[in-house]
Amino acid sequence: MSFLNALIPSAGFTDRDPVATRRPHYEVSETENAYALTVELPGVSKAGLEITDEGGELRITGRRASTVPGNLVDLHRETSDAPYELVLAHDNTVDSGRIEAELRDGVLRLSLAKAESAKPRKIAVS
Amino acid sequence: MRSGRPRHPPCTMGVTMRFITYTQPNALSVAPAFGFGDRLSRPGFEAEIDRLFGSALTGLAGLARGGQFPVDLYEDKDNTYVRAELPGVTRDAIGVEIVDGSLSIQASRKEKSGDGERTVSFSRLVSIPDEVQADKVAAVYENGILTVTLPRKEEAKPKKVTVSVN
Repeated sequence: MSFLNALIPSAGFTDRDPVATRRPHYEVSETENAYALTVELPGVSKAGLEITDEGGELRITGRRASTVPGNLVDLHRETSDAPYELVLAHDNTVDSGRIEAELRDGVLRLSLAKAESAKPRKIAVS
Repeated sequence: MRSGRPRHPPCTMGVTMRFITYTQPNALSVAPAFGFGDRLSRPGFEAEIDRLFGSALTGLAGLARGGQFPVDLYEDKDNTYVRAELPGVTRDAIGVEIVDGSLSIQASRKEKSGDGERTVSFSRLVSIPDEVQADKVAAVYENGILTVTLPRKEEAKPKKVTVSVN
């Protein structure tokens, strides 16, 4: 594991988290004052969703609420029950205190206000 | 649970499918943290990779690309269940129909494109292994997942046929 960590530090090959996760489909768009992030998390309810913003990294983890009851036999599977995990580095260009999130019908919409320091600034020459 | 019945072969899943290839964990999280913002942005590269893989592996790309959505099939002793991942579709516009022993699922979703909005449609035909009581089919849409419950028809009891031998 330490070898893999040395090789790809951001990949997160750690003993701490042996659960395989998958990266959900997402889109980022940008306006003057904010980033808008849309993440597809089908099967995830509010209770299974965790959003953290720490050290310039936004982390979204979603666990699927509806796993199949034990008495069902699966005939054909195309989906996965693995939890979703999305980590986006924003390098503190986002104001952590002004992140808004809305989860509806398996789609998470986040509005991330840009930090004042990240906005373009005109500098007056004295 | 019934035994002795073959698993539903993936290749019969609907005529509109291009492939059903393998679909296990879509993308393990070996990808580094992708950034956004000017400094770290590399959407062009990532989109290109997704496009390349998306054409080969169903399920890797999101719903937005390709128009196909993943489907699971389950059964218990009374029902067959079809579960489709359809995040963010318009609830009122979901169409579920039984046509010639297949389940047809139609959905659409509004997506922003530039300044405007466009409606993207999805559809899929899933062949159902057993005869279904079409009038008792029920569907629920929750957390972006559509679950269709298809009650199985009582299987006709084997008839006794007497054959006279001359």
